[in-house]
Amino acid sequence: MAKRIVVDPIPRIEGHLRIEAKLDENNVISDAYSSGTMWRGLELILRGRDPRDAWAFTQRICGVCTTVHALASVRCVEDALGIDVPTNARIIRNLMNATQQTQDHLVHFYHLHALDWVDVVSALSADPKETSDLAQAVSPSWPKSSVGYFKDLKVRLTSFVESGQLGIFSNAYWGHKAYKLPPAANLMAVAHYLEALEFQKEIVKIHAIFGGKNPHPNYVVGGMACAIDPNKDTAINIEQLNQVKRIIDQTQTFIDQVYIPDLIAIAGFYKDWAQWGGGVGNFLSFGDFPETDVDDPSSLMWPRGAILNKDLSTIHDVDPHSLSEIREEVSHSWYSYTDGDEKGLHPSEGQTNAKYSGPQPPFEHLDVDNKYSWLKTPRWKDNPMEVGPLARVLIGYVKGVPMLVDTVNHVLKTLDVGPEALFSTLGRTAARGIECKQTSGFMRHYYDQLVANIKKGDYQTFNNEMWNPDQWPKEAKGFGYTEAPRGALGHWIHIKDKKIEDYQIVVPSTWNASPRDSKGRSGPYEAALKGTPMENPEQPLEVLRTIHSFDPCLACASHIFDVNGDEITSVKIS
Amino acid sequence: MRINVLGLGNTMFGDEGFGVEVIRYLEKNTDFPENVHLIDGGTQGIYLLDYIESADYLLVFDAIIPVEYDRQVYLYKNDELPGFIYRKMSSHQVGLSELISLARLQNKVPKDLILIGIPPADLNMGVGLSDTVLALVPTAANMGIDTIKSWLNGKE
Repeated sequence: MAKRIVVDPIPRIEGHLRIEAKLDENNVISDAYSSGTMWRGLELILRGRDPRDAWAFTQRICGVCTTVHALASVRCVEDALGIDVPTNARIIRNLMNATQQTQDHLVHFYHLHALDWVDVVSALSADPKETSDLAQAVSPSWPKSSVGYFKDLKVRLTSFVESGQLGIFSNAYWGHKAYKLPPAANLMAVAHYLEALEFQKEIVKIHAIFGGKNPHPNYVVGGMACAIDPNKDTAINIEQLNQVKRIIDQTQTFIDQVYIPDLIAIAGFYKDWAQWGGGVGNFLSFGDFPETDVDDPSSLMWPRGAILNKDLSTIHDVDPHSLSEIREEVSHSWYSYTDGDEKGLHPSEGQTNAKYSGPQPPFEHLDVDNKYSWLKTPRWKDNPMEVGPLARVLIGYVKGVPMLVDTVNHVLKTLDVGPEALFSTLGRTAARGIECKQTSGFMRHYYDQLVANIKKGDYQTFNNEMWNPDQWPKEAKGFGYTEAPRGALGHWIHIKDKKIEDYQIVVPSTWNASPRDSKGRSGPYEAALKGTPMENPEQPLEVLRTIHSFDPCLACASHIFDVNGDEITSVKIS
Repeated sequence: MRINVLGLGNTMFGDEGFGVEVIRYLEKNTDFPENVHLIDGGTQGIYLLDYIESADYLLVFDAIIPVEYDRQVYLYKNDELPGFIYRKMSSHQVGLSELISLARLQNKVPKDLILIGIPPADLNMGVGLSDTVLALVPTAANMGIDTIKSWLNGKE
């Protein structure tokens, strides 16, 4: 092999996450601090631009979930200008959103989070016969479960590892005592890691069909940019709809026969994780998947609401338009507000004045008593809130959303635990799988809706009534929301003289990774890490398990401190 | 034969968007046959795996940090590209090297893989490349065009 040159692609930029955790004398995490160490001032880039272009810029914020920002952005402009989108556009947006959710959850589980629970090196010592027996017991209908299949995989994996190309599996904590799966289960999981890798490539083809291209599918204020005509080659036609249907069939099969059985099988070995990682116990969802009107919360397939103090008897109403409910504080964030940093501001009146007051890098510790993060601190009715799959599943479960309730009960019953087990790292990870099953069902639901609507002769995808800026009011404000895979996402726009006067975005990871608020209360990551015992602080696998369970939209460096506050190890992720 | 030309980077952060800008340049200034696919990959990470694995020949444009700053535009071939990755906190942190590693594990590495990169001059938030890097776009693109032509002509 030729000389190796290190080519280091620039880290993909979405902000970086740093966790500082304090340990007590028993290596239990006594306190934790979460810091976004990179400034995101996207709002400033949007000022002065055409509101109809905002989606194309905002979809570049996040490396991966481009469509969610595009969706929230077109919705906020439509809200400001009073635009109703055609039925087909609503359905296609829902279908693309369900596709994104499904693919994102699948990739998160297998290609990031699974390696926190699955020991790849242990898989090399698995017996293929035993693995085959296990796979057939776990998922009797899934065909890829023969002895020969696992034998071949073991050979391939062994030669990959022995060639020194541990590659994707290098730099992990293999052999860590916190890994509990037997070798056969590890080998089965690695097989599914690779199968999921192949499969996820198919799912997203739906975005290319409806968005014109992928990555970065096209959205448009007023509808969708794709034309529908069952008989034309240049439009969405029968052939393409059939392809979408095939992908949906395969997706549901994969989720039902691989993801859910794996989730339950793996979770069975880690039931102790139902006691750690619970977090703040407050949950928020804006809701999504409008059946009729995006402005009507009662039409949302994912209900809107909030849970406080783990109290599953009450779902609180949420009004994201209300200026009094959501506030962003900067008491521990490197920003300043013109009227003082003590009082939070609603995002529609938000300010993005960066003011770094932390230590100059390289530094050992953040000054956690003062400001220590580039993330603001969003609060709902003054409470720190967790957003994401667990929030949505809990709210949907309490509200009795059909099928979701069945899946939750099935998982809980199989694992022989009660609903309280959901308030944990394990619960968060299970919720993502439960939700993935639900969204793969949504894909079919919206496909059926779309076909039915086209059969009625409705081909309209775009409402151009307000496309011309001359028709716009001199000034308008709007709110656009979606539930991204990681949780509630809000875009707030202020349009003045046909241009963007102000634009504020509150992303899910800001809710979850937020620093302390003005009252000193921890954010969800910070709270979730407290009380977790660590097997070996030099290898902070437990921190990764809990932080990964939130599916952070951030690059991260995790720093572990011992009781004296000295840094034991730093796990840099670039 | 399928040739994928993949531009990587985040267009919101100055020169980070170099790879995407080269794709836009090629879209405007070239007219290759249908089997040459110009792809604005952005920062799509693992979701770009299909564009790596489906390629017989793969050309990537990206902002890079070289070991030595001795050139303006860098070109790396096949084994010169490392296939390692780092522990990551987010599934969004999947770079080119990890994609190559995944493709290797699946035995789906392109016959030829070439990366053309420039070191960024300015990574501050903002749309558009710095003057320094913008001036290098045609140079980098022309190196890429030569590469694509040699593949089309079967010389590689």
